[in-house]
Formats: sequence, structure tokens, C-alpha cells
Amino acid sequence: MDSVERIGRTIHFQPCDRPPVVAQVFAHAAVVCGRTVGEYVSSGSRAAACQLEARDRYGYDAVFAALDCTLEAEAVGGEVLFRRDLYPAVVRPPCSPEDDFSRLAIPDPASAGRLPMALEMAGILRRACGDETLVVGFVQGPMTLAAQFLGLEKALYLAADDPDRFLRLLDYAAAVGRSFGLAQLAAGAHLVLVFEPAACPEVVPAGLFREMIGPRLAPLFAAFTQAGAIGNWLHIAGQTASILPRYPALGATIGNFDYCVDAEAVLASLVDSRLCLDGNVKSLSFVTDTPDQIAQDAGKLLRLFDRRGGFILSSGCEIPPESQEANVAALVQAARAWKLGRS
Amino acid sequence: MSGRTCAARDLHINRGVPPPCGNSPAHGERKVKIPADLDSLVQALIAGEREQSLAIVARLVSGGTRSFDIVTGGVEKAMAALDRKCTAEQFNLLEIMLAGRAVMAVIRELFPEDAALPDPRASVVVAVLKVVLTSSRFRVVDCGRDVPVAAIVAAAAESRAAAVCVSGLISSVVPQVQALKPALLRVGLEHVRVLAGGAALKQCTAGTLNVDHVGQTAFDAVSYLDSCLDPCLDPTTGGLRG
Repeated sequence: MDSVERIGRTIHFQPCDRPPVVAQVFAHAAVVCGRTVGEYVSSGSRAAACQLEARDRYGYDAVFAALDCTLEAEAVGGEVLFRRDLYPAVVRPPCSPEDDFSRLAIPDPASAGRLPMALEMAGILRRACGDETLVVGFVQGPMTLAAQFLGLEKALYLAADDPDRFLRLLDYAAAVGRSFGLAQLAAGAHLVLVFEPAACPEVVPAGLFREMIGPRLAPLFAAFTQAGAIGNWLHIAGQTASILPRYPALGATIGNFDYCVDAEAVLASLVDSRLCLDGNVKSLSFVTDTPDQIAQDAGKLLRLFDRRGGFILSSGCEIPPESQEANVAALVQAARAWKLGRS
Repeated sequence: MSGRTCAARDLHINRGVPPPCGNSPAHGERKVKIPADLDSLVQALIAGEREQSLAIVARLVSGGTRSFDIVTGGVEKAMAALDRKCTAEQFNLLEIMLAGRAVMAVIRELFPEDAALPDPRASVVVAVLKVVLTSSRFRVVDCGRDVPVAAIVAAAAESRAAAVCVSGLISSVVPQVQALKPALLRVGLEHVRVLAGGAALKQCTAGTLNVDHVGQTAFDAVSYLDSCLDPCLDPTTGGLRG
């Protein structure tokens, strides 16, 4: 069974040979290949080569057509600082609270900033992987983009002080993500991961997620489904236990849960849900722990979700670039050695 | 208060004392009668109502309440309530920021020359921590972002600090955090406590990071400093309480 079929069947709670394992490897792929983070984020073809080499070394089920988290803000006109060994950072947000968000132009994924690099990356990965390994596109969710377009502090104050204007900003951000995500699907991605950490209940109240962010995520996922995505992946880091049950209603088929979310409680809260989950080995463990500890954590998760199904073994968030290779290998090996129905 | 703020309230952003919707006098149909007691100030601060908090403070001051009493009976009580809210895992950054903005406005109003103003260029995490510490009567020296260990040590020495708080959102900062305590030790600042927090660092133990305390929220910093600094408030060792 190839990885795309394995993940597709897992999303639909159908039996397959073993649990899928998706190590959330982005710039760690560069480090594995002797490249710097700076080199990784500045070339789509180079980043794709790193992703493929890392997949060959580790043997996990998905690669990511993802460079870093500043692409959209850069494409809209923000100033980005590039660094040798760290991800780029937005140092001057592209918008201000006074902007007329309904009149801002949607950046063209084929030409704006480094968006074309991501499309090139998706195309290279899909041609290399075919339907053997899942190619995951990557966009940021409307709340996270809103925070980048204004700066987090200004975005949050705008949400509280002028919700009408904030909603227009969210609409604009969602339109940017929709355009970019659809372009990635057209370029070859099997599905798109929507990265939305700023929508975490630790950042905004659950009511704001329900009333403002959710109604913008739902049409985003609907558009991706209509464009042929085999699933929709919602990734919100942090303590998301209270909002995870809402994901299916938004159209998400895969929901990430971070290390701080209790896996047993999640299992109990989703007893009647068909949301496929991915998680949740602590990201920093890949830097600080041993392969035995990673294998132990992975084994606990595999046992816990064995009967339910709908589970992709993964880290709670990104595997840090400086992670130890033996730890990533231990995660992958745990899933590859697992026989479903063991527990 | 506008109808837009009503929408924010509907989304459970805990704002508004008294209720801002419907026939609330805050909508301008008649003059607002601002209560002038410390309990009302506490509620307004917790709700993040900056303008209302300032109006209450103005009435308290004109009624003869001392600034010190407003801080201890109003601001500190509000921050303690927010601390309890964090402990109960009802924390979200937006509510804390709104409360922090109201608190800082009150402190600026009461102590216009001394108030430590959040640097708008500083990160949110730093700003929130600064508000929480400032409102608990700590003096805060904000060293900024991406600061080398040597610069932090120099700032700690120059300000005779009792503690250094560092925040890290990415795991690559861990080695620099681990180097902080030895660097303080080398220049005779072994009494300076080192506190860590932030998305990446709070995944670690204090032992792993070689720090004295790892906090899950900004309020943990205050609780920890309260627990360990009070007995040694000696200016020569950096006691900061005013």
C-alpha cells in the first residue's frame, strides 16, 4: 500500500496495513542534507530536493511543499528578514489598521514574492512522488495571516475595538490563503494544510473562533475540496481540546493536536466524530530526548488510537530544524513496525 | 461605547462594566454614572475597559483616594484575578492584552513620570510580561528581542536586577538560555534568578534549561518572584520591590 492510499484510507477510517506516519519536517530536511535554513527558504527546487532526500532517508508518508511562514505577508508587501540558520521573520507588516481591507489586491501566486517558489516546489514533489508519497501544500489560516499582516498586537486590538473592520481583514486574509492554496493544488499538492496557530484558544476566545474564524475556514476548505484535495488538514498548535470537536463542521478531515493536549481526553471527546487526528509527540523532544523515549511516546499513541483508527502518528507541531536524526527515525520506525489491531 | 464593542462582547471577549448593549447608558442616551469605588475599578480592568477604568480612577482621585491605594486595592487585585483565571486554564492572550492595556493606561495616569511604557516594537509576550510585572510593582528593564547573553548580563548588572526573564518561541534559543546562568555566575551575579517562558521554552524543564523556573504563563513569573524574592529585598542584591 502506498502512502497516499494509506493516508486516504485513514482519513476515511478504513482499514490499512499500518498507521501512517507524518513527521512534520520542514527546514529539518535542509539540515539533514547539509544545507542551511536560509538556503532552504530561498529556492523551491532546492527545498524540494531536501524534502525528497529526507523522505528517502526516513521513510515517512508525506512531504511538505512548504518553505516558511512569511510567504504570504511578503507577497502582500511586508518586509522580511532572512537569516542563515533561522526561519525568516516579518519585520515590517504589510498593512495598517487604517487600510481599506476590501480594496487590497490579492497577490498572484504565479508572480508575487516567493509564492512561485512554493508552486515550483509542489510541482517538483508531485512529479517525483506521484501518488506514492503524499504531497502536502501549506497556507496559513485567516487569523494567522491577519496577525502577520498587521502584527499580532494590532490585530488583536482591532478584533476587540473594531470587529467590523477586523472581519474585513479576515476576509482579505482568507482570500489570500484561498488563492495560494488553490494554486498549490493545481501545481500538484494532494491536499493543503491550513496552519492557524493564532486561532488557538490560548490566543483568542473560543467565541471569536466560532463566530469569526470558523466561518472563513469553512469556505476555504470547501474550495480546496472542490479543487480536488483528497482531504483538508487544520493545524492549530497549542491547547485546542475545546475546539477540536468543531473541526469536522468546518470541513476539516485531519486535525492536528499539539503535545499539550491530552490524547486520552481528545479520544473521549471525539468518540462519535470522524475527524482523523495527527499528533502529538512533543516537538522539542526531537531535540532533547533519546530515540527510546520517542519510541515510547509513539507507542503510547499508537496503542491509544489503535481501535479507533483515524490516526496519523506525528509530532505535535513542527519537528525543529536542529532535531536529532535518530529521534525522527525512531518516530517513523514506531509506525512502520506497528500492526493495526495489536492492542 | 459603540455597538461594535457589543459584537466583541458577544464573542466572549470579557468586556464591559456595566453591560454595554441594549439600553445601557454607555450608548449615550443619558449621562453615564461612573461608579467610584475600587471594586468597580477591578471589574473594569479585568474586562479590559480602558476608558471606563480611567474614568473611575479620575473619580477616585478627585474623591481623595491616594494613588498607592488605587494600585494596591484596584490594579493589583485585578491582576490577581487574572492570575487565577490563568491558573484555571481560562487564559487567552486577547483578554490579557485588553486588561493589560487598561492597567497600563491607569498606571500612566497615576504615575505619568515613572510608568514603564510598553515598547510598541517589543514582542507581545514581552509586553504582556512587562504589564504583569509592572502592575505587581516590579521595575522592568526591557532588553528587547534577539538579545545576546552578554547584553542581558550587562543589563542585569547595571540595573542591579533581582531576576532575568527570558522568552523563547523557537527551540534554537535553548543553548543561549542554558548559557545565561553560567554567564551571570562569572560576573558575580549568582543571586540573580533566571526565569524562562514562551512556546518553545515552556516545553523544557528548569533543569534542562539550567534556569531557576519555567513559567507556563506571565503570571507564573510574578508568583515565583513573590515566593522567592521577598525575604531578600536588599538593594545590594537587586531587590526591586518599591
